[in-house]
Amino acid sequence: MSNQNVLVTYSAPVSFLASENWKQVLAALQSQLPLRSIHWKSASRPNLKTIQELELTLVPLDSLRDEHTSQVPVTLLEKPLLNLYVVTCEDNDLYKTNVKKQIKDWHSAISQRKNQEWIIVHVVGSDIKATDRKFFNMKSSVLDKIKADFNIDKRDRCVQLSWTAGDHSPVIWADLVNKIKDGLLSALDSSVSQREEEVRRSESQKQMPGWNFCTFFILKESLASSFEGVKLFEDALHQYNELEVSFIQVLREKNMSWFGSLIQPVDNDDSMPLLSITKKHYRDLILANSISVFDFRIYLLARQCALLNKMRRPSEICQKVTAFLGTFGRRLREVEAKLPEYFIESWIFSSALSVVDQCDAWAPTTELDGIQLARFTASKGELLELAKTQLDIIGVKVGPLPKKMPFATTCMEETALHPRQISKRSSTRRISNHEVMLAIGDKEAFYDLYCATSNRAIEMYVKAGRRKFALKLHGFLAALDIHRGRLASALAIFTSLPAHYAPHMWISLESFVLSRALDIHAELENPQDREWIHILLAYLRTCTNDMSKELASEVNKEKSVTQLVRALHTAAANLDSDLVHTDHPVMAVQVSGDATCSDDEDLALVNTTVSNHLPCDVFVDEINITLRGRDSERLTFIAKVDKLPPGQSTITLSCPSSSWGLYTLESSEVVMSRVHFQWQHTGTVATTLKRNQISLVRVPRSLRALDVQIRQPQQTELGTTSHLLLVISTGQNDISRATIKPTPPPGVQFNYSAARLETEGTGTLEASDDAIVLLDAPVDADVIISLPHSDASRYHTMKIGLNVTYNTQSSMGVVRTLQTSRVVAVSLPIAVNVEDFFRGKRLFSKFTISATSHQHVRISSTELQGARSLDGVKISGCRPSRPVVTVTPEHPVNFLFSIESSNGPVLEPLNLVIKYRILRDEVEALVRQTVEAVLSSMPVEKPQYGSLRRMLIDKLVAQLESDAEWVDAYRATGEIILPRSFEDGEDFQEPIREALAQCRPETASPCPWKEIKIPVDVPRMNIVTAAQITVQRSSLPGDIQSDQLPPIYAGQPINATLIFKTSFHWAEKEGKQRCYTMRYDVEERVKDWLLCGRKRGDFVATDGGSFAVPLTLIALHHGEITLPKVDVRPLPISTQASMGSTVPSADVCQVHEAEKVLILPRGGRSTYIVGMGGEYE
Amino acid sequence: MAPPLRLNAVAFISPQNHPILIRTFEKGDELKYHYVAHTSLDVIEERSQSNGPTKSNDCYLGLLYAMDEIAAYGYITPLKMKIVIALPLTDSVVRDAEVIMTFKALHLAYYHASSNPFIRLHDTPAGVGSAKWKRFRRKVDEISRAVGGGSVPS
Repeated sequence: MSNQNVLVTYSAPVSFLASENWKQVLAALQSQLPLRSIHWKSASRPNLKTIQELELTLVPLDSLRDEHTSQVPVTLLEKPLLNLYVVTCEDNDLYKTNVKKQIKDWHSAISQRKNQEWIIVHVVGSDIKATDRKFFNMKSSVLDKIKADFNIDKRDRCVQLSWTAGDHSPVIWADLVNKIKDGLLSALDSSVSQREEEVRRSESQKQMPGWNFCTFFILKESLASSFEGVKLFEDALHQYNELEVSFIQVLREKNMSWFGSLIQPVDNDDSMPLLSITKKHYRDLILANSISVFDFRIYLLARQCALLNKMRRPSEICQKVTAFLGTFGRRLREVEAKLPEYFIESWIFSSALSVVDQCDAWAPTTELDGIQLARFTASKGELLELAKTQLDIIGVKVGPLPKKMPFATTCMEETALHPRQISKRSSTRRISNHEVMLAIGDKEAFYDLYCATSNRAIEMYVKAGRRKFALKLHGFLAALDIHRGRLASALAIFTSLPAHYAPHMWISLESFVLSRALDIHAELENPQDREWIHILLAYLRTCTNDMSKELASEVNKEKSVTQLVRALHTAAANLDSDLVHTDHPVMAVQVSGDATCSDDEDLALVNTTVSNHLPCDVFVDEINITLRGRDSERLTFIAKVDKLPPGQSTITLSCPSSSWGLYTLESSEVVMSRVHFQWQHTGTVATTLKRNQISLVRVPRSLRALDVQIRQPQQTELGTTSHLLLVISTGQNDISRATIKPTPPPGVQFNYSAARLETEGTGTLEASDDAIVLLDAPVDADVIISLPHSDASRYHTMKIGLNVTYNTQSSMGVVRTLQTSRVVAVSLPIAVNVEDFFRGKRLFSKFTISATSHQHVRISSTELQGARSLDGVKISGCRPSRPVVTVTPEHPVNFLFSIESSNGPVLEPLNLVIKYRILRDEVEALVRQTVEAVLSSMPVEKPQYGSLRRMLIDKLVAQLESDAEWVDAYRATGEIILPRSFEDGEDFQEPIREALAQCRPETASPCPWKEIKIPVDVPRMNIVTAAQITVQRSSLPGDIQSDQLPPIYAGQPINATLIFKTSFHWAEKEGKQRCYTMRYDVEERVKDWLLCGRKRGDFVATDGGSFAVPLTLIALHHGEITLPKVDVRPLPISTQASMGSTVPSADVCQVHEAEKVLILPRGGRSTYIVGMGGEYE
Repeated sequence: MAPPLRLNAVAFISPQNHPILIRTFEKGDELKYHYVAHTSLDVIEERSQSNGPTKSNDCYLGLLYAMDEIAAYGYITPLKMKIVIALPLTDSVVRDAEVIMTFKALHLAYYHASSNPFIRLHDTPAGVGSAKWKRFRRKVDEISRAVGGGSVPS
C-alpha cells in the first residue's frame, strides 16, 4: 500500500500504439525515469519542498478502470496524476481529418477527471524537423494546430518531441520531462489541497455527535501515505504526529466509543515484533471500529517508525519506542488485572528486544557517521535497559530477586496488585515469550537472561560512550552477584566502581558502593588487610561529606563508623609495613599562632588545632608537623596523643631545638600505628593553589639557648691557610656532647680534623673527619673554635650552613638540634697597592691602602718587617702624624718606606703588617662598653642583666645603623651623638646617651685591633740609570760666580752635558758583570727648548759606569722652564739559547727632574726715525 | 487540561560535573535518582557535543531519556551548570514551556543562593548545596510544591 508509485497514463492513436515505433518511444521515455529534483512550491505550504527522486509507473489508459468506488479513502496516488497522449502525425490534412478527432475524444474523457493533468506529446523525427517552417512555410505546423485546438488556457500542455530511435541525448527530453514535472506537481497540489480540506472539515466536526475518530484517521492517513508515495517522508511523519496528538486529546476526553477496549489480549500479543504492521490487519480493524487502543497505538508507532527508517533516523525510532513502551506500559497497568500474568513485562521486554533487532536490520551501522552512530547505539542501550528493568520487576515478583534496593523501587510497590485482584485474573491466557516463561520457571535461566540482557545493554552503552549508564548497570550486576552469593565477584566490582565516581565527587554514589564493598568484605570474613584499609579509608573519606548521608539508610551509621574506626586501629597495628595516606579529609592539622620557647631548656612549642570530622573518637599514636625555614632547614614538632575526640582539639607539639626564625608549615602527619595520614601544606603548585594560604610560624629566639656565631680571626696572614672562628655560646646548656657541622659553600672545604679549641676550660674537642665534636662544655661559656678552610677568595661573603645536634647533662636522652646559617665576610676591608722607586742603593716603596667596602677603616699602625736573618737591609718608615689614620672609601692613605740594602737586591719577601679595625666594630665595642658600664652602675638583677644588655645593644646598633649623621662628629671628636629617635622605654636612655656623647680619643674603643700580614716581594732591577742634564757655566758669558748660574736670556744658546750613571745594584749577582747597550732619547719640547746635539744615541751601561753627551739648549721664551726629560731604554739582548731576545728590566730616574732654569727676557733697543715732512715740497 | 507536572527529583550539577544538590521528593528511591542525575551527565555531554555551537545559547535540553518510569529533563546554564529534573513518565504530553518554566525557577533559586556573600563557593564542591545552607533547599522544595506537589522530604 505504501509502496504505490505515482501513476501516469498514456494513450495514442491505436495504430501508433501497435507500431514498433511506439515501443521504442515508450522505452526511451522510461529510460528518462525516475524524475529527479522536483521542487514543489505550494500555495498552502510556506516553504519549498524538494523531492529528490520520484518513480513513475507508466500505464496505458485503458488498463485503469474506475473500479475504486469504495468510500474508504486510500492514497491520492491511487488514481493517475497525469495523462499523456502521444501523436506522430506530421501531415496537416491527416491531422484535420483524422487525428484531431481522436485527440478530442481522449481530451474530453480526460478533462472530466478531477485533479488530473494532461499533456499532448507530438513526436516528430529529428531528421525532418529543420527543413521548413516559420518563414517559408506559411501553413502552420501540426503542433501549432494542436495547440490552437486544445491548449485553451495559458498553461502550455503540448510538447514536441524530436526523437528518432537511438538518440539518447537528454536534451531532447528536457522539455517533455519538465512538462511532466509541472503537470504532476499541479495535479498533486490540487488533489492534496482538496484532501487537506476534507481532513480539516472532518476535524472541525470533532465535537459533533457521530463523528468517528477511525474514519478521520483513515482520511488523514491517506494524506500521509500520499506524501510517502511522493517521497515526502517529513510531511508524512508530520501527519502521523498530528494524528497521535489528536488521538491523545481524544483519549483524554475519554470520548472513546468508537474504540474497542483498551486492550483485548490475544495469544502472542506480548511476544510479537512491535514494529511489524502486517502482524494484524490493523486497517481492517480500524475500519471496523473494533481496534483496541493497544493495537491502534502500536500501528501508529509502527507507521511512524517505518517513516523514520526511510528518513534514516534510527536513533529516533529507538527513542520513540522507549518512550512509548514506558508510557503505554504505565497505562496498561491500569488494567493489569485483566491481562495475563506478567503480560506487561513480557510485552515490554520482547518489544524492546524486537525493536533493537529490527533497527539493526533496517540500519546497518556502517551507514551512520560518528555522532549518529553513538546516538543510535545509546538509544539501543536504553531499549535494552528497559528490557532489563522488566526483568527486575518480574524477578522481584517471582522471587529470584530480593525485594530491596536497587531492584525494587517504590513505583513497583504502588502498582503491586492486591491479592484479591490477582485471584480475579483471567487464567485462561498466558504470556507467550518463551524466554520470559523459562525465566519465570527457572531461577538459573532467569539469572542468565538477566545477565545477558544487562551485558548487552552495557556493551551498547560502552560503544556509545555512555560510561555512567554502564557503571550503573555494573552496580546492578554486582547487586545481583551479592544476592546469588557470588560475593567475591561482587566485591571485585564494588571495589573497582568507586574509582569512577570519585573524580567527579559523586560522594553519594561512591559512599554507597564503598559501604557495600565493606559489607561484603565483612560477610566474606576476608582478613582486614592493606586492601581493606584502602577501602575503609576511601569510605571514611566519603563520610566527611554531607552528601553521603543522603543515601545512608541505616540509622546507626554513626555506630558503624565507630566500629570501623576501631577496626581500622587494630588493622593498622597488624600491618607489616608503613602505609602512607595523603590528604585524607577525615582529619586536618592546622597550626594556631606562633611558637613559644620553653624557659628552662632549648625547646620550642607550637599549638596546633586538630580537627576530627568523624562523629567518633579516633585512636592515634602521634601527631607531628614539619616546618621549613628559609634555607629549607626543617623542624619537626611532635606530640604523642592517644585519641582525637570528634571536632576540634588543641594539641601542643614540641621540638627540642634552639633554632629560631620564620618558618612555613610544610607538612603535617597523624600516625595511627602503621598508617600515616599526611597532609602537604606547601610544595606542589596544586595544593598551594587549593588552599592558597600558607601557614607561617614564627619561632622566637630564646636568648638563653645555644647559639653559634662565626667570625673571622683577629690575625690574618695572606698566603697561609685561612681560618674561621666558631663561637659557641652554650647559654643555659651544660653540653655533654655537641656535634657541630658547618656546611661550606660550594668550592670551599673545611678541614674539620684540624679544628682547634682557642679558649681554655671550655670543654674538649674530639677528632672527627666530617664534623666538630665538642665534649663537656659548661653553662654560659663561649667556646671558640678555629676552623681552617681552603681558599675562599672567590667569595665576598660566605654563607655557612650550621647543623648542631647536642644533648645536655640535665636531660641526656633528648637530642636537640640547631639548624641555621651564618654569613661571614671573607674579603678584607682594605686593599693595598705598592709603587716602587729606585734611587741608587735605596728603594722607596709607597703603599696605598684603600677601603674595599663602604666601611671606614681605622689604621693604627703599618710596619714593614723583614726577616731577622736579613742582613745589611735597613728599613725605615715615616713617623705617623696621628695615632690612628682613617681610610674612607673616598680617601685612600699612603704609607712610604725606604729600604736601604747594602748587598744588592733583597731576596726574601718582607711583610707589611697592618693593624686595623673597622669603624663599625669600634663603635659597637664602644656601645657595648658603655651599656655595660651604665648597667653596672644601675641596680639590675642578675638574670635580667644578660637579656637586657643584649636588647639594649641591639637597639642602639640598629639606631646607629639607621642614620649616618653621627659619623663625622665621631671621627672628629670621638663623640657618639645618638639620633633623637632613640627611646628604650625605660630609664636607661639618658645615662646611655650622656655616656656615649662624651669626647674620647681615637684609641679609646676597647675593640681589639685586627692584624693583617701581607707578604711583599722587593722587586729586582737589572739596570738603574740616573740621567742628568747639567748646564755648563763655562758656556755662559760673565762667568762670575761659580755656584750660581749667570742670567740666561731667551734665545741664548746654553751648553749642557747629558750624563748617565748606571748601576746594577738591584740586579742579581751574576748580572753585575754584564754590560747592556742602552738607548737614550731626549724629549723634544718645541715650545720651550731648541735642542742641538745628539738627541738620541746608544751607549753601553756597566755597573757603576757613566756616560756623557754634550748638548746645546736654546730657550725659546722666558720664564722658569724645566729641563727636558730623558728617556733611557735598554736594547734587547739576544740570548743564544732561546734564539729570541729579551729586554733587561731597567729603571730610569731624572736627576734634574725638580730643577728649573730661569730664562730672562732678552733686553734690546730699537730706533725708529719718523720724518717731519720738511722735504716734501 | 493537562495534569500538573510532578517533580520526582531535582539535581544541580556543577560545571565540573560535581553534584551540588540532589533533592529527591520520593522517599526510599534516593539511590535511583542519584543514578538518574549521574547518568544524565552522559546524555547532556552527548547533546552538547552533537549540537555544537549552533544552539549553544539554548539552555533547555529537553527530554534526556526515559527509563524506569522516569523521564529526565535537562537544562544547562550559560556557565555550564546543569540542572536535571526527573518527572514521572506519563501518557500525557509534557509541555516544554512548563518544564522550561520550572527550570528557570530552579536556576533562579540557585542564582540567588549562590549570590550569598557568606558562601565560599570554591571551598567544597557542593557549595550552596551543602546542608549548611538551608535556604536553597527550602527554595527548591517550594518550587517542587508549586509545580505540582510531591512529598517534601524532611
